[in-house]
Order: sequence, then C-alpha cells, then structure tokens
Amino acid sequence: MKFMNNVKNNNSSQIKFLDNFTKTLLAIMIIILIFIFGAGKYMDSHEIVAGGTDDKVNNLATVASSKQHHPFIELPGDAELGAFSVANFFAGLILGHSWEKIFGKTNAEIKGEESKKTTEEI
Amino acid sequence: MHIEDGILSPQAWGSWYVATTIFIVPGIREIKRRSEENLYYKPFLAMRGVGVFVISCMHIPVPVTGSCSHPCGTPLAAILIGPFATAVITAIGLFFQAVFLGHGGITTIGANDFSMGIAGGISGYLCWRSLRHFKSPIWLAAGMAGFVGDLITYLVSALELAISLHGHTPLLKQWMVFFMGYGPTQLPIAVAEAIFTAAILQAMASRRPDLLPNILGIKAKEETK
Repeated sequence: MKFMNNVKNNNSSQIKFLDNFTKTLLAIMIIILIFIFGAGKYMDSHEIVAGGTDDKVNNLATVASSKQHHPFIELPGDAELGAFSVANFFAGLILGHSWEKIFGKTNAEIKGEESKKTTEEI
Repeated sequence: MHIEDGILSPQAWGSWYVATTIFIVPGIREIKRRSEENLYYKPFLAMRGVGVFVISCMHIPVPVTGSCSHPCGTPLAAILIGPFATAVITAIGLFFQAVFLGHGGITTIGANDFSMGIAGGISGYLCWRSLRHFKSPIWLAAGMAGFVGDLITYLVSALELAISLHGHTPLLKQWMVFFMGYGPTQLPIAVAEAIFTAAILQAMASRRPDLLPNILGIKAKEETK
C-alpha cells in the first residue's frame, strides 16, 4: 500500500499538457474568438460599419463642434484584428488564471480525491 | 460611448477627469478593504476587469438598425466587486482600449469612465440593491441592473457631449440628438446585457453562493474561515 501511494504521488506531480488551467484558458479564448469571428462575418455580409454607434455619435459631435475627432492611435484594418487577438490572448490568460483560483479544486479536495482513488484501487 | 480625442475642450475633459478621480480614490480604498476581507476578491477583480475590457470593445451587430454597438459589463462588475472599484477597473480597461485598440482617447478617459464605470456601474448597483431590498428574485434584480446600467451609460455619455457642445441649441434638444445616435441600436444591446447579467448572477448564486458573501447576505469573514 505504501508503494502504491508513492507511485500515485509521483504521478500527481507530473506536468500535464492539458491541465485544468490550460483547458479553461483555451475554452474562454476560443469562445471569445468564435464570437468575434461570427459578429465580424455577419457585419461584413450585411455591410455594417464596424465603428458602430460610437463613430456615428463622434461624427455628430464633430458636426456640432467643428472639431475633428481622432482615436489615440489609428490602426489599419489588419493591425486592428491582430491587436484585438493579442489583447484577447492576454484577457484569456488572466481569465483562465483567475477562474482556476476561484472555481478550481483546492489542495485538500485534490488530496481527498487521490486518497479515495487509492483506497478504491486497493 | 467611446468619445474620442479632439471633441471635448481641455476644460471639459479636465473637469471629467476631476469628477472621475473623486470616485476612483474611494474605489482604491474599497479594493484594499475588500481584498483583506475576502480571499476571492482579487481574482474576481481581475476577472471583472478583463470582462469589462473585452465586453466593452466587442461590437455586436443589431440587424434591425443596421448598426452595431457594445454592452458595458459594468453593472455586473458593480454588483460583484463594488461600485467604486468598478470605476477603477473601468479606467484601466479604457486606458488599454485607447492605447492598444484605438478605441476612445486618452484625454477622454475621465469622461468615458464617468459614463460607463461610474454612472453605469452605480445606477446598475442601486437598481440591484433596491430590487433585492424588496425581495425581488436574483435574476430579475440582476437583469434590471444590467438593462438600466447600460442605458444610463449612454444617456450620460450623450449628456457629456451635449453639455460641452450644445452652444445656442437647448441642452435637452442637443442631448436627445446625441442620445438618438446611440438609442435605437443600444436598446436591444441593453436587453442582451440584462440577460447576460441575470444569467451570470443566477448561475453564481445557485452554484457558488459562498463566492458572493456580501451580496447574498453572508458574512465574508465567516465564509473565508
């Protein structure tokens, strides 16, 4: 029994390729990307301007004030997509990390599960 | 509600910076206090910060109006992490949106944070608290908070522009002109934000009520012990 416990402990300390954190992170990022892609595709097919109401009202304000509006940085179309993907990569990283902290199993729960499995195997 | 650089005069955007700072200072104190009370608070803060960042730059198409707009995520953040802390994370989110994505401007962070992080967050939070006070179900209170917070955000944003730019036009008229730029597209988005807020809070309350200590009336310190 002692031998089996040791083996179990060694196994549990191995680094998994797809652990809970990576799975959560990837799932969140994929969901966000699918949503962005779906919305982008729909807007493209229906010729909806990506600037939306923000641009519309900024243009109205320009008419009222006779002052030109401009974003802090002007990104060309492709760069905007790249910047959004990178931003969402980091967003997924933080979300996945925090998700695991809040909803992940505690050390006590993991140990409990391991000991339960060991006793079942015995 | 991402007002861009160049529209507001220095006096106007300076005033909005001052108004926003008044809410950000107690927000930092709220973050420090609640982090000590609840171990889950910091991860929540990080998640909600990212949530506000992603949600408020994600444009959703509205087929009826042929335009698109974005929800805010701040009413949910205000319920989960507190209304003043929401002002802080929204300011950070708006900064990164301006710098990396070209959404909004740097001079207008004060004005944009006031409309989305402060007005949207606090109105949603007050709506949630008042409905919960009258024993309203969680999904209804959260849904109404999301709806009201979203619309208030755009009403305040339009008001900010109208105050600065109305000139000889009556303020109310100019306000409604700007709001009508947002309104028709924003109404369905506000409904979507209501559903989203209600779903998240209902799911959290039924699955992990221990994560919402002060919200559901359980003492935080007892829970973390």
